[in-house]
Amino acid sequence: MFERSDPKITSTQAAIFLTNTVLGAGILTLPRSVTESAKTPDAWISVLLGGGIIMLVIVLMVKLSQQFPGKTVYQYSRQIAGSIPGSFLSMLLIVYFIVIAGFEIRVFAEITMFFLLEGTPIWAIVIPFIWVGGYLVFGGINSIARVYQIIFPVSIFVLLLCYFFSGRLFDLNHLRPLLGDGIMPVLRGLKSTILVYTGCEVVMTITAFMQHPQQAVKAMLTGIGIPMVLYLITVVMSIGGLSVDSVITSTWPTIDLIRSFEISGFFFERLEFPLLVIWMMQMFCNFCSFFFNASLGISQLFKLKMAPIIFGLMPFIFLATMVPVRINDVFAIGDAIGKMGIGIFFLLPVLLSLILIVRRKGLKQNV
Amino acid sequence: MYRHRLFLTFLAAALLLAETGCWSSNEIEDLSMYTALTMDTGQPSQVEQTFEKEGGSYFKDNKITVTIEIVPKQSYENSNKTADTGAKAHNYVNISETGDSVLEILRQFAIRLDHPVIGHHLKVIVISKQLLQEQRIQDLMDFVLRDNDIRPSCLILMSEGRAADILKTKYGDEIPAFHIRGMTRNRFRNNRIMKGIITSELDALMYAKKTFVLQNIVEANQEVEFSGGGVIKGDTGKWIGNLDQQDIESIAWIKGEVKGGTLKTYNPDHKTVTYEIKSAKSKISAKMNKDHQPVFHVNIESEGRLIETWKNPGLSSKKEYLEKLQEIFEERLAAMIQSLMQKMQSDYKVDVAGFGDRLAVEEPQEWKKLKDHWDETFSRTPVTFDIKLKITDFGSFIE
Repeated sequence: MFERSDPKITSTQAAIFLTNTVLGAGILTLPRSVTESAKTPDAWISVLLGGGIIMLVIVLMVKLSQQFPGKTVYQYSRQIAGSIPGSFLSMLLIVYFIVIAGFEIRVFAEITMFFLLEGTPIWAIVIPFIWVGGYLVFGGINSIARVYQIIFPVSIFVLLLCYFFSGRLFDLNHLRPLLGDGIMPVLRGLKSTILVYTGCEVVMTITAFMQHPQQAVKAMLTGIGIPMVLYLITVVMSIGGLSVDSVITSTWPTIDLIRSFEISGFFFERLEFPLLVIWMMQMFCNFCSFFFNASLGISQLFKLKMAPIIFGLMPFIFLATMVPVRINDVFAIGDAIGKMGIGIFFLLPVLLSLILIVRRKGLKQNV
Repeated sequence: MYRHRLFLTFLAAALLLAETGCWSSNEIEDLSMYTALTMDTGQPSQVEQTFEKEGGSYFKDNKITVTIEIVPKQSYENSNKTADTGAKAHNYVNISETGDSVLEILRQFAIRLDHPVIGHHLKVIVISKQLLQEQRIQDLMDFVLRDNDIRPSCLILMSEGRAADILKTKYGDEIPAFHIRGMTRNRFRNNRIMKGIITSELDALMYAKKTFVLQNIVEANQEVEFSGGGVIKGDTGKWIGNLDQQDIESIAWIKGEVKGGTLKTYNPDHKTVTYEIKSAKSKISAKMNKDHQPVFHVNIESEGRLIETWKNPGLSSKKEYLEKLQEIFEERLAAMIQSLMQKMQSDYKVDVAGFGDRLAVEEPQEWKKLKDHWDETFSRTPVTFDIKLKITDFGSFIE
């Protein structure tokens, strides 16, 4: 009973899988990127609105995947669009996942080198991370989902604890006026919130692994709802605690928020260290999701075994991590990923759904 | 099988090689933590001048003198030993260096001290008034905002005299930085203490080019006192004038930040009467008048206790007397606030009591137009006050 050999996950595991895929480095820079473009304290509305849009996107992705039970996007894209275009779209998705995997590790490494392990060479942080990630990915979807189930409550608890204590800096006036400049700043902020939801494309693969695919919509909406709420709390607490002007000028606003107070007498006086250490596990989950999805894609696309692909991908992920030279390049890649995410959205779920509808309804084909 | 296991055992044992500890760890005993940092106008100390004579100089301009207060590892041993002999040795060491880059100066300590200095435990930064007249605060604080050791929770103060003098104490084993930090926690007893500006707030104020007040600290005979505040003009980032203790109180009243303290005045017989503040609230409301100029109204309400009254015999704690006193206290508070308004609107032409912030909340569109030259606009803005103090009791003594 406790051993399962079939690669299936429960609905709860699927929800946590999505949460842990989306929730990662973004939370540390989100308050800045969104207030930079919104320039008003209404940035939190952008996060809510962005989350709402992403939820619709996810429903579309799930509905599409549910048409092909047990098949991932890499398999059904060829069925829908034909072998070559389908493979091309899958390749795009794979490259996209590798780039995000590299980006996540890079952000993680930058923060670790700046705040935690000053003087540690970047490869000493990145390479073990990739190796351990590889080990987890070897275990397949079941092992990954179980690790996520263990890490998820711990990291969320620590994060919420930090925000709870940051309440002492909170000033409601920093969040006012509400919609002082109208709705435009909120819409401007919207484009920065897209980046923090990138990675939700994994929905198109995890649905295939679900034991009860009919519950997929509910599970995936829960899975994206959790990061959405956490992002909202992050932006509200950062702006409320530091004010818009301070958030804009801070490279890592969320960490600066936690660094702006000390709790004498508590178990930890400085909460940024427990937060960073715990968040490291969260970023590990994040990275493993993309690693897994990229290797799964290659495996299904070229009908190869997983093991050699996992090894084969490691150097590519390492390269993707090391390509940016400066921190500006890292953030530029972050922006590029956001734009790629939008492109991927139109090319995969939207285009595939359209083709599917045309072929099924219009041409009455049996796809 | 046996061989295979042996091999694995060796492999596992090889892992021990990696267990030598953290990659680039520093033992805490080998570090010098500084708890306070002060900045003064560049005046090389006696020691530095001698060093320079001996050829110890480098490519620099003597613009600032940075003094740090190091809490050395030996402090614990020292305090124990001196307790026996009765002689009091200090638990800290102050060291100064002059130059024109804060980080370069801090790194320069490495060629004078045996341990590297680290800023993880920096509690207060004190900048002297004279330096704030010469340099922009943005430039002085730039390093502090960028550094990864120094926390954004660090408190920023201004000193009337030389800032390095603040870092002295005559109370034996006390550490001045902790003393100052402790003083700011006394706000519930005295509203002449400001809430204090920490580095992350300073960051926002400087970015928004807002004018603000830094708590001023004065030193006499190795003792320190908070004494009003220094006004730092937003657009220039330089000191333009001082506010006294009473003005700091008035700002707290206007902003509704009064947490306790007293209000003292004289009754018609010129005898002392003191009001102990139990609670205080304030609300600034902003409006635009017909000519599109902002108008403010401040509503202050407070409840308190008549805690001290020196009086001629015959007067009683009757209701009429209390009401009379209430009026006297209200007049006193109104006079204090008027004096602050006079300084803000006529003398310095700045807004440091949160009027602009309020306008930004209530009239965001108008604020957008006014914010770039807000200080000037504010000096022409009418502000009205409505002050209500209520004496609710008179302590445990009744006549």
